[in-house]
This record gives sequence, structure tokens and C-alpha cells, in this order.
Amino acid sequence: MSDSSARELAAFTLASEPGNERQALALVADALSQSGLSPTQLEKLKTAVAEATMNAIEHGNHDQADVLVEVTVVEQDGVVVVAITDRGGAIGDLEPPAEPNLEDKLAGLQTPRGWGLFLIRHMVDAVDEVRDGDRHTVRLTVHPSTPPAITRSH
Amino acid sequence: MNTTFAVGVRGVEGGMVVALTGDIDGSASAALSEAYQRGVEENNPERVLLDFTATDYINSSGIAAIVSVLAQARAQHRPVLASGLSDHYREIFEITRLSDFIELHGDVDEAVTQIRQASR
Repeated sequence: MSDSSARELAAFTLASEPGNERQALALVADALSQSGLSPTQLEKLKTAVAEATMNAIEHGNHDQADVLVEVTVVEQDGVVVVAITDRGGAIGDLEPPAEPNLEDKLAGLQTPRGWGLFLIRHMVDAVDEVRDGDRHTVRLTVHPSTPPAITRSH
Repeated sequence: MNTTFAVGVRGVEGGMVVALTGDIDGSASAALSEAYQRGVEENNPERVLLDFTATDYINSSGIAAIVSVLAQARAQHRPVLASGLSDHYREIFEITRLSDFIELHGDVDEAVTQIRQASR
């Protein structure tokens, strides 16, 4: 029988200082070391966490160190959700509206930057954003690579 | 944890090797561009190899820095190769399509051999 209760594996805050995204990915990776995610999924999630945390620090909290980024890691039935909360704008408002186009970037028609949201979307199974007052949360969801075992009764 | 970015350039027959060490993020951009330009002036390479063997973190700002160097190299008609990428970053190079413009090799020796053979 599967355990359908959600388990909070980690909850921490970070000062909004450039570079602290490395701390976020390390703490999330540590929290998920015993999870059902494959090494590949974990590597991808770490990249998504780093990018989302960078966005929260730079664009959400505007590099104000005393405004904290909140991170929680929750697992339920093998599904992992990492929530990253800042006090600012939605990432979709801040990235270039179009998908980054490498040919255009190489031709100087697009800035070389603008890969953050693109990477996040390709690294996890789902990305969604929630607004609650001045709180803005990005939720990164990863499903287990192998579905939980189903116990059959005969 | 964070490892400070450093870059070294050396000439090889037919090209130059840009050896990247540490985190490739926004703070690496200026140093990478400067090293590339200095290396081009000193070596006038036909081909450029970016060696990521000593790198274990590349973020979106680092990707932007690599795109900038690639744009410079392409404008100068210098093919770019890469070596030493982990499977994870090799996949990111594929997702971003950098691998459409950068020839990926497993290790630096293999890539340098390719550069030498291509110059003969």
C-alpha cells in the first residue's frame, strides 16, 4: 500500500546574494539523497533549482540580502516538489517572451542570455507559479522514473 | 560548493585549447572572453577547443558566456570543439543546440588529436 501522505524533506531560507543558488542546490540534493529520483533526474532538478533560485535572488528579491528566499522540498508517493518563494515578480514576466534561439543569438539578433527559464522547463516534469500577496512561488515537480510498486491482493 | 573560475590557454598544432576550471557562471564571462581573445592573438588558431574536464557547474549565465565565445569564433571562421563535458551538461548542450555548432569529444586528448588531423 502506498503512503499518500506528503513528507517535508527540507525547508530552509537563503539570503538574496548572488551565488547562494549553489547552497540551494546542495541542500536540495542532500534532502533527496534517499529519494526515488534517479541520478539523472537529480542532476536535472539541481540545475532547475539553481536557475529558479537565481531568478528569485536577482529578479524577485533584487539582490537584497535581507530579503530571504524560501525553499521547501516535499515528497508524496515518490513525486518531488521543490517550492522556491521570493517577494517579487513572476519569472515569465522577466525572461524574453520567445524561446531562446541559438542561431539568432550567434547572429547578434538576440542577447546571449535568456536561458534560465528555458533550462528550468527542460529539466523537470512541470513548472508552475503561485502568487499569494507579495509572495511569489515557483514549484518544480519531478515524477519518479519508476512508478511506485502496486500491491495486489489475490 | 562554489569553485572559483579560472581559464588557461595553450596552443596546439592547428588550434588552441581553452581549459576551463571551476564554476562557469556570470562571473566567468569576462575572463573567458578575455582569455579567448588573448589566445587568438597569440596562437591564431584554426580551431578552438573548450575543455570542460575541470568544470562541474555551468549555469544559464555560463551558457550565455559560451554562446558569446562561440559567436566570436564563428565570426572568425574558427570551428569550436568541446571536451570533458559530463553526461548532464552534454544533454544541456543538446537541449540548447550548442552541440549543433560545437563538436563534442569525450576527452581533451581525443579532441586535440582531431584538431591536429584536421590541420594536416
